[in-house]
Amino acid sequence: MELKIANFKLNNPIITASGTFGYADEFEDFCDVSKIGAIVTKGMTLEPRPGNSGDRIFETDCGMINRIGLENIGIESFLENKLPILKKKNINFILNVAGSCFEDYFKMAEIANDNNIEAIELNVSCPNVKEGCLEFGVDKNALYELVLGVRKNYKGCLIVKLTPNVTRIEDLAIAVKDAGADAISAINTLKGLGIKLDFINGKFYKKEVQGGLSGKCIKPVALAQVKRIRQVCDLPIIAMGGISTLYDIFEFISAGADFFQIGTQNFTEPNCAVNLVCELEEFICKNGFKDFIELKTAIKEIK
Amino acid sequence: MEKIQKGTVKNIEKIAKDTFKIEIQSNVKNAFAGQFISILCPPKTLRRPFSIRGYKDGVIEVFFKLKGEGTNYIKSLKIGDNIDFLGPLGQGFRVENKRVLLVGAGIGIAPVLFLKDELNKKNVQSFLISGFKDDDEVIEGSDKTVVGGSVVDYLPELIEKFKPDVICSCGPHIVLKLISELAQKYNIEAQVAMEKVFACQIGVCRGCVIQIQKDGKVQNATICHDGPVFLGSEVVWN
Repeated sequence: MELKIANFKLNNPIITASGTFGYADEFEDFCDVSKIGAIVTKGMTLEPRPGNSGDRIFETDCGMINRIGLENIGIESFLENKLPILKKKNINFILNVAGSCFEDYFKMAEIANDNNIEAIELNVSCPNVKEGCLEFGVDKNALYELVLGVRKNYKGCLIVKLTPNVTRIEDLAIAVKDAGADAISAINTLKGLGIKLDFINGKFYKKEVQGGLSGKCIKPVALAQVKRIRQVCDLPIIAMGGISTLYDIFEFISAGADFFQIGTQNFTEPNCAVNLVCELEEFICKNGFKDFIELKTAIKEIK
Repeated sequence: MEKIQKGTVKNIEKIAKDTFKIEIQSNVKNAFAGQFISILCPPKTLRRPFSIRGYKDGVIEVFFKLKGEGTNYIKSLKIGDNIDFLGPLGQGFRVENKRVLLVGAGIGIAPVLFLKDELNKKNVQSFLISGFKDDDEVIEGSDKTVVGGSVVDYLPELIEKFKPDVICSCGPHIVLKLISELAQKYNIEAQVAMEKVFACQIGVCRGCVIQIQKDGKVQNATICHDGPVFLGSEVVWN
């Protein structure tokens, strides 16, 4: 089943989410990575970033909070060390792009374009350091300007990953479409706070982690946001947020999604994405659907 | 694919207060001291990592202490039950034919007991000292057991007497830090098996990084993939 987002081809609609699948080669002992529709790389910046100090992970009921702080090897090292591996192993990938100011994104777009990278996903949940650290993705005007500038420098498939931490995600989706993006991925993590208290030998001990909440617990929020985006925007939607089963995928189709990212579940089950690819194919074959598009249409028609 | 294992529980028994040993029959071909396995504990999102205590003919043995839902799930398993784990993962101890002083603090004794077995098989001399908070928490198998005090206090005398080339240890962060400092003072190599909350278990999420000094610069390393065993001298201790 060959699918397309703009001119970016995928063998199936299953994608692994940024930050949960490294640069793909790390998963070779766990699954056949080439079977996955596409992998999204770790969020990449112009310069390498060491990430945050202190505790970075906090497990919650049915999910987790992370505050990694965009630790990554930097675009130069990616092009030199990781890109050749991805190409050699024929792994379909989307470059996740992050930055601290407009110019960072524009420059990254230019580099991606010059290196014939077929698809990029903009992480717009980063703080704009020149504008009081307000995230790009929460202000529709800033987001429009950002996507427009990237679009000018980049001819490939441009995906924008929206943050759910806004009042009206519809406005952001419209801004992204108007600026010329090819697809929307939704949702990024929710803002969360984990506090763990222990009382040992008459004394309290506290662990506190503030960061992005992900996992099964966010699925209802993701479904709602996808549905709201679909109501105002006809761009392809790449849905994510708590997907771990075939029926999660069907639910997101019902809400309006076209493609699906597996995130936190890659930690629980490193072969989850590959299993879902197989299960989806099997479901289509067994139940007499011609292909994924026909299955998607059937689910969307359910009232 | 071979790192995803569907094993079965061969044996599970209590070995100390709130502490259990579980033996898992699996298709694992080999394992080394200092490596770990990560057990799926439904419905928890994150797998629980455990240092390997022993390995023979596909049977992996680990110790676990009851801490919460994850370890309670493992305790609830019965002989013959399925158990889903990843591993063996991570980099273990590397000692070749050196004289080794082994130090285990609390349940941190597990990987050093495994190392002791490996060294015994190769006829390499070792001495294992372990420390526990209370009598009922003691896990057997050491050459010397300290109860109630700090195991680190006993090391200078042992170093003088046993004259090790390397100290291999596992335990709480502060114990490993003190051992590394002591090893440096005596000009001995220290290898420390570290611990933190893991999300991915394989180095991709960058959730368990520490800083190490390598090739003349400070850099990040993941405990789960680059470790858990590091040279004490390369860890940037905070």
